[in-house]
Amino acid sequence: MSRRTFQVIGVGAAVLAVVGLLKLAPVAGQAPADKSGTTPAAEGTTKAGPAGKTPWGDPDLQGIWTNDFETPLQRPSRYANKEFFTDEERAELDKQRAAIIGGDRRQSRGSEQDVGGAYNAAIFLSHKHMGKRTSLIVDPPDGRIPPVTPEVAKRRQELRDFQLALLQASDVCKNQRPGCDGGKYGPVSPRRSETPPSYLSTGAAGGGVINRSDNPEDRTLGERCMAAILPDFGGAAGFFPQIVQSPGAVSIFYDTGQGQGWQRIIPITNRPHLPPSVRQWWGDSRGRWEGNTLVVDVTNFTAKTDYQGSRENLHLVERWTRLDSNTLEYAVTMEDSTTWTKPWTIKQEFNRQSDKANRVYKEPRCHEGNYGMPALLAGARAEERAFAQGKGPNPATMCTAGCGGFAGGFADEGEEANPLAR
Amino acid sequence: MRGWSTGAMLVVAVLAAVVGAGGAMAVSRRGGTASSTRAARTADGKPDFSGIWQALNEANWDLQAHEARPGSVTQQGVYPYAYTKVPAAAVLALGAAAGVPGSVGVVEGDGEIPYKPETAAMRKENGEHWIDRDPELKCYLPGIPRAMYMPYPFQIVQSTNKVHMAFAFTSTARTVNLDEVEPPPDDTYMGHSVGRWEGDTLVVDVTGFNGKNWFDRAGNFHSDALHLVERFSPITPDVIRYEVTIEDPKTFTRPWRISMPLYRRMEPNAQLLEYRCIEFVEEFLYGNLRKQQLVKRWEGDTIIVDITRKVPPGDQLHDWYRR
Repeated sequence: MSRRTFQVIGVGAAVLAVVGLLKLAPVAGQAPADKSGTTPAAEGTTKAGPAGKTPWGDPDLQGIWTNDFETPLQRPSRYANKEFFTDEERAELDKQRAAIIGGDRRQSRGSEQDVGGAYNAAIFLSHKHMGKRTSLIVDPPDGRIPPVTPEVAKRRQELRDFQLALLQASDVCKNQRPGCDGGKYGPVSPRRSETPPSYLSTGAAGGGVINRSDNPEDRTLGERCMAAILPDFGGAAGFFPQIVQSPGAVSIFYDTGQGQGWQRIIPITNRPHLPPSVRQWWGDSRGRWEGNTLVVDVTNFTAKTDYQGSRENLHLVERWTRLDSNTLEYAVTMEDSTTWTKPWTIKQEFNRQSDKANRVYKEPRCHEGNYGMPALLAGARAEERAFAQGKGPNPATMCTAGCGGFAGGFADEGEEANPLAR
Repeated sequence: MRGWSTGAMLVVAVLAAVVGAGGAMAVSRRGGTASSTRAARTADGKPDFSGIWQALNEANWDLQAHEARPGSVTQQGVYPYAYTKVPAAAVLALGAAAGVPGSVGVVEGDGEIPYKPETAAMRKENGEHWIDRDPELKCYLPGIPRAMYMPYPFQIVQSTNKVHMAFAFTSTARTVNLDEVEPPPDDTYMGHSVGRWEGDTLVVDVTGFNGKNWFDRAGNFHSDALHLVERFSPITPDVIRYEVTIEDPKTFTRPWRISMPLYRRMEPNAQLLEYRCIEFVEEFLYGNLRKQQLVKRWEGDTIIVDITRKVPPGDQLHDWYRR
């Protein structure tokens, strides 16, 4: 899940990113103990009461929630047959991650990699303690996303080829950095003037970053302040959904992605979905109560979003269940036969936060403070002018921020450096 | 040339607004299957404000009484008078769809907004530089009270301790806290709302503004000292009387009030749709920084927008005359 957050956060949110982390992310070992005692200081230390009902008789999901613990979306390969970590493994992973967070893994000073690594793993790695589960994915039982369809594999490869074409004349390929994996050093590609082969979205492989800033559309949704998507499993950048209910609707404000928060309304209705001609960034939600569980069917996504390769055909079935006064279970089944060979399901537990402390931030918002986007574009134009006047290198041979795929802050060392990926 | 050049920028925003308004209507072919047995009271006996609402007035154009105008941006026509202006170039292509509707205004009492002399000058200047300055055009958070009467629906989700309001415009929200909460650590666009019930009226005290919002497209504005007292009172199950006392000693000489009805969206399939304008305003905000310009370019400090209106054969306005 932090992996997802890495990929949605952009340079545009840079200042917010740092501020957001300082304000929002519980630092390892410092999960806040709230005076009213509703926030668990650590797993199992607070006595939880039973799950309640609203005055009008619906299950009560209300409050401010967060994921207090870090869990990888997919099970790391070295834990292939384990559903749960041992306490020793959790402690060891916490130690490894703390070393990355506390370290300064700069490349040689002043190099493009050094500048490009301004947002390194220390910023985008979750500061939370490891949870018990080895993966959020509970189905399939191996904890891995099912294989993608040939169409999606092809789209990803086309985008990867395009990324590599735009990188091939840069030092990333010259020095065979991990960002150039699958490509090789060569002259400036004529593809630099092409439109990307598919809409540049975000999310895991298939979204991604290109080494170009001709237009706002060349940049990531994170840099454009539009990174928030469904489903959202939280991440290092702070994640605080606030739920308010009335008899006919469940409202969720997602404080997520460092100022990229958004408002969602789930109508409790048996009305059919919006017509297929109406597509939305956050889809179209229809909720119903099944016993104590809020079941939400979400369709009508836009092709501009990309969740693990799934675009407009994504179909979510979310199940929100209050397990006790402190715990909200969130289970989601992802289904899209045009993307995956079979559906898959994640399960996650959110922990209740203090209403009084009110630690949900609807602002500051990324967009109003997005100095990063004009700076990226103006910087690129300045480089082009300098080159035209013989005062600077060919921009096509340079690698600017996020070059090579920006693999969650591990672009400079490769994903192998991430203890939660290998 | 400022009027022309800035006026030209408007077209993007106007087009976005037209598209957005259409989307928000969402009237589809289906009748209602929703079990809309709407109780006038909540389980705890309060007036039930849950549902989708919208103001039906011209307050977002100008809180004060104003006559209709031929364009949201205008320039001098044949005569030199203010009342004989014609639409400026950018909105001209949109014809009567780009005009401004008149209004009797929503400011109570004498209809005047009690600016101090220095802020009155700023208000006038704001109006003259509308498209350069109005935060709405940049898709910034609209603030309160403006979010309540923008031409987009909003939804109230009313619970016991919180009254949550979700806005179609830029998918933002405010939470009215009926319980005791700590305020945010800094001032914000949307302010900090604390509410209480006085009989059947929900009274909301709003503070903590950052002073970057406007009240309307006419340039009415406030500072970070803004303090609002909003009153939501039921007129019928489907109409709320919305009144706001506005206090800002940095900007105004005395408190003043606006009031208007808010109407329930009665369509059985009414639903809050996205108006994610952050995307819509990218060309408006960053278009001049593209490597290759799409619709506008800069010459020094002057922005140039090229507008070409090609009229296909058969749609030409004066065909009858040419025949």
